[in-house]
Amino acid sequence: MVGQMIFTGLLCGALLGFVMQRGRFCLTGGFRDMFLAKDYRMFYALLIAIAIQSIGVFALIQMGLIQFKSGSFAWLGTIIGSFVFGIGIVLAGGCATGTWYRAGEGLIGSWIALFAYMLMSAVMKSGVLVPVNEAFKGYTVPTNSIPATFGTSVWPFILILTAITLYLVVKHLRKPKVAIPALRAKRTGLAHLLFEKRWHPFVTAILVGLIAMLAWPLSEATGRMSGLGITTPSANILQYIVTGDSEKYINWGVFLVLGILIGSFIAAKASREFRFRAPDAKTTISSFSGGILMGFGASLAGGCSIGNGLVMTAMMTWQGWVSLSFIILGTWTASYFVYVRPRLQAKKQHSASVTVA
Amino acid sequence: MQHKLEVLGMVCPFPLIEAKEKLETLPSGDELVIDFDCTQATESIPRWAAEAGHTITNYEQLDDASWTITVKKK
Repeated sequence: MVGQMIFTGLLCGALLGFVMQRGRFCLTGGFRDMFLAKDYRMFYALLIAIAIQSIGVFALIQMGLIQFKSGSFAWLGTIIGSFVFGIGIVLAGGCATGTWYRAGEGLIGSWIALFAYMLMSAVMKSGVLVPVNEAFKGYTVPTNSIPATFGTSVWPFILILTAITLYLVVKHLRKPKVAIPALRAKRTGLAHLLFEKRWHPFVTAILVGLIAMLAWPLSEATGRMSGLGITTPSANILQYIVTGDSEKYINWGVFLVLGILIGSFIAAKASREFRFRAPDAKTTISSFSGGILMGFGASLAGGCSIGNGLVMTAMMTWQGWVSLSFIILGTWTASYFVYVRPRLQAKKQHSASVTVA
Repeated sequence: MQHKLEVLGMVCPFPLIEAKEKLETLPSGDELVIDFDCTQATESIPRWAAEAGHTITNYEQLDDASWTITVKKK
């Protein structure tokens, strides 16, 4: 049982880490570019991953192979937490999963963000901020499932999501393409495909959706009744290290997140993209504060951009879709203050000094 | 004329933002050599250059997680 948990957890995480590193699957960058460049490519990719997982997981539920209870919807915590999380991922330079896989590429800034994220999640889940977390959780409505609210089956919603996704994807693929220059290929065959070629984000998204689906039966076989999750397992690592309580804190999710690090390290190393890279003082502070906000936000919201944005959305819950919307709003708000405003001010000052001269 | 931009140690999206701003200040036909070590920029810089209509005259990996790309302004 323990062996199975270690093996399937690490394997699922390694697959995810590998695919995300090679596919440059960065949700933070995707949400940010919707705002900065009116570029919706990554958002469409996320919809693909959600739709695939949704079809697969509800088919497994229908066949009685896995169980899922959507529970209640802590709306206030989800809204505030997701917004704060959205700000945090811009400062940290990557969402929770992004931070795990960038840590595997050797970015020391991501190690710092990761530590702050684990720390703050543990503080919220079993530390001094438990009362704050519980106060927010007081604002809860009993029904989390969207189909249950409307009193229907889940399938019409999956059908609508799939139709919208297909429409957007086809529309995007029909746009005239520009040839994007690539590095000269130095490898051939499988090695080229795995460690060199640029992956189309939609192909990466299909793989992410399939891995997210696979996570459900693998995780449930070890008694953890959910799919991909990053925040709680990340906190669990720190909680386990400081308490030594393996009964309480070691589960399939812990091996999943460690697997992400291993998978992305293998992908980066084999593609010659691994190197320890140290951030400057400004980036270090930004990464640390980003990690703190991420831990606070994700714990309050009951999930990060994966737990809520990829998984709870696919499960057709209010928590998932409300959270995804507010994470995106958070990244847009932070993007304005981090990228847009400083440059507008610099331009203003520049033109003012030119006029004076 | 050729100009140089080093954005080593910067994480995305800063290498791209810096490159865009620097290129704006250059006259048409000038080249900008960008040295970077952010993995995600291997995708974002060439994509931006191609979509904006600039020409890429050189693009190569120098070492582990270290790249150089030369963009000629249209």
